[in-house]
Amino acid sequence: MDSTVVFQTVILGVLLGGQYALLASGLTLYFGVMRVVMLAHASFLVLAAYLAWWFTTSTGLDPMLSMAITVPLFFGLGVVMQRILLSRLRPATLTMMSCLLTLAIALVVEGVLGFLFTGVQRRVQVGYGSAQLNFFGASIPVVKLVSFGLAVFGLAALYFILMKSSFGRSLRATIQHKQAAQLVGINTDRVAGHGFGLGLATAAVGGTALALDATIFPSLHWYWIGPLMAIIVVGGLGSVPGAAIAAMILGIATSVLQIPMGATWAQTVFYLALFATLLFRPQGFFGGRLAQRF
Amino acid sequence: MWIRKGLTVAAAAALAFGAVSCGSSPGGRDDGKVLIGISIPLTGDFAEPGKSVEEGYRLWAETINGKGGLLGKQVELKILDDKSQAEAVVSDYEALIAQDQVDLIFGPYSSRLVIPAARVAEEYGMLFVEPAGNAAEVFEQGFQNLFYGGPSVADTSFDHLVDHVLAMPEEQRPKTAAIVAMDDPFPKATAHGVRDQLRDGGVEIVVDELYPPNQTDFSGLAAKVAASNADIVIGGAAYQDAVNLIIGLQQLNYDPEIAGFTTAPTHPEFAKALGAGTAGILAPTSYSPDARHETNAEFVAAYEEKFGGRPNEDHAAAFATGQVVAAAVEAVGCAEQGECQQQLVDWLRNAEVPTVVGPLSWDDAGRPKSASMVLQWQDGVSRIVLPADAAEAEFIYPKPGW
Repeated sequence: MDSTVVFQTVILGVLLGGQYALLASGLTLYFGVMRVVMLAHASFLVLAAYLAWWFTTSTGLDPMLSMAITVPLFFGLGVVMQRILLSRLRPATLTMMSCLLTLAIALVVEGVLGFLFTGVQRRVQVGYGSAQLNFFGASIPVVKLVSFGLAVFGLAALYFILMKSSFGRSLRATIQHKQAAQLVGINTDRVAGHGFGLGLATAAVGGTALALDATIFPSLHWYWIGPLMAIIVVGGLGSVPGAAIAAMILGIATSVLQIPMGATWAQTVFYLALFATLLFRPQGFFGGRLAQRF
Repeated sequence: MWIRKGLTVAAAAALAFGAVSCGSSPGGRDDGKVLIGISIPLTGDFAEPGKSVEEGYRLWAETINGKGGLLGKQVELKILDDKSQAEAVVSDYEALIAQDQVDLIFGPYSSRLVIPAARVAEEYGMLFVEPAGNAAEVFEQGFQNLFYGGPSVADTSFDHLVDHVLAMPEEQRPKTAAIVAMDDPFPKATAHGVRDQLRDGGVEIVVDELYPPNQTDFSGLAAKVAASNADIVIGGAAYQDAVNLIIGLQQLNYDPEIAGFTTAPTHPEFAKALGAGTAGILAPTSYSPDARHETNAEFVAAYEEKFGGRPNEDHAAAFATGQVVAAAVEAVGCAEQGECQQQLVDWLRNAEVPTVVGPLSWDDAGRPKSASMVLQWQDGVSRIVLPADAAEAEFIYPKPGW
């Protein structure tokens, strides 16, 4: 294969990696704050994508505007879900039971989507859907660039909240050491609720980015949850920067490896990376220290 | 019934534990109805076409009941959801045949589910007519009781297109082709059927790729196809993969002379997903609502009245499945488990049955003996362009830019 194809594929891989990074960031946050394995994250991505599609087909406006509604809505939904469901799980079995609980939530979301919008596979039509820019001989699809921009914006906002706001400091303190955070006067229960809401809010942004350039259907979340789980383990459970770096690397790797290996084998990259991480560095490759405690 | 109740329970228990000794007893059900057992994917990967198949079956049952039923008895359908999973489809048909004692069974959707379902049907000696499993593998399993309720098998479904391409004068004929297929029996068989015939006809195959059914990102595959700049692109696809791949190709500014994809272009949602980008796209289709086959007009009218809109090929294949079984039942004069099933099979082996997808007849493996039509999207609607005698419009070549 000549170098233009490789260059083209690397660029597509970067765009894909950006999307993975945003989608995985929320997932790693839940685990960091609350030791919750959130299997329903991908189903909320699909829910947000459906809301974006529905918003666009009923109003004719750009799907990105739907975030004005879905981001606060998902934040509220996350807080409520944490307060009335997840906080009732016993701490001793929290990680295990959260798998069951969030799997049930994922199935409910899938079922409701199928009931409301039927199984018909939908796609948002945007004016820039098939436009492209030329970049040193490679074509960059505008819509993928927009969704990459959305991912960068989402991650930057998340970074800003975590690093600069006082809520972010409380949240990081809760992630680092819950009892110590309580000792300095942080209401860790409330922080956990808001942290969960924040994670779900990233799903609203990620879902909108997904809707821009993907065909959506209620069972789509099954296709996402495996790679996303692999990404957060490789990146180190609970580490947002780790998830972002792992997502970028794995995104580029799957994209580029499709050229020599074909699409079927390229998909195994996520799982090979997962096995390698568990074998050689179970706490993750990028910074996460949390997993050592489990 | 001469079987004592205890014995029936014991027999049912034995069946449940897998000690299958399938006798010819007509079972313990005697409610004056013909009960038909069906398992269809109503959720999961095949939920969308699965629902069409369900509508087709229900419409057939309503139509036949409106005419006095089968052998003077009302028809009742028992439909289970197999969630698009092979394990579920097996246990569904086991339960329908052994526990519910259904009189007849109809097949599920897609080759991936038809093969395990057909195996159960063979085990119990049931006639198995199915609406949507036409990959080569389906007919290579040695099934004795299987019949496909559509006009053509996967390998040959794009034959009219291939014949048309190879018949073009030398200087016009496309030189290179890119083949991309989902690693699933039906799409793969169609795409590889085209590939082999084009290669034999002297067209160079420059891309030949497979992708797994759970692939959602098609930008990499699109980049590979675009880089080859092939004259023909053929996609063996289901739905979301075809739409995502086509948009990926458009995003890379690749515009071939012929673009053919299976399945997706026959769905009404296709135009909504792609807008004006559908121009010139081809697909094999086993059915057209405008075709002049016997009973088709009546079927289309009934569909419009019950569901609104026009039926697609999945609706038609399901309805045709019902027509095939009904023809056999009326001709043989029985509908129950046991010896009757073999008589139905034997009758169908030599029969030609008029259906909404055209007259059907089969070879020894259950392959239908006709070929699919080819449609092309032109000005936002799909029209039949091949074969010439069924065409509603001219075949546009090279395709207009998308």
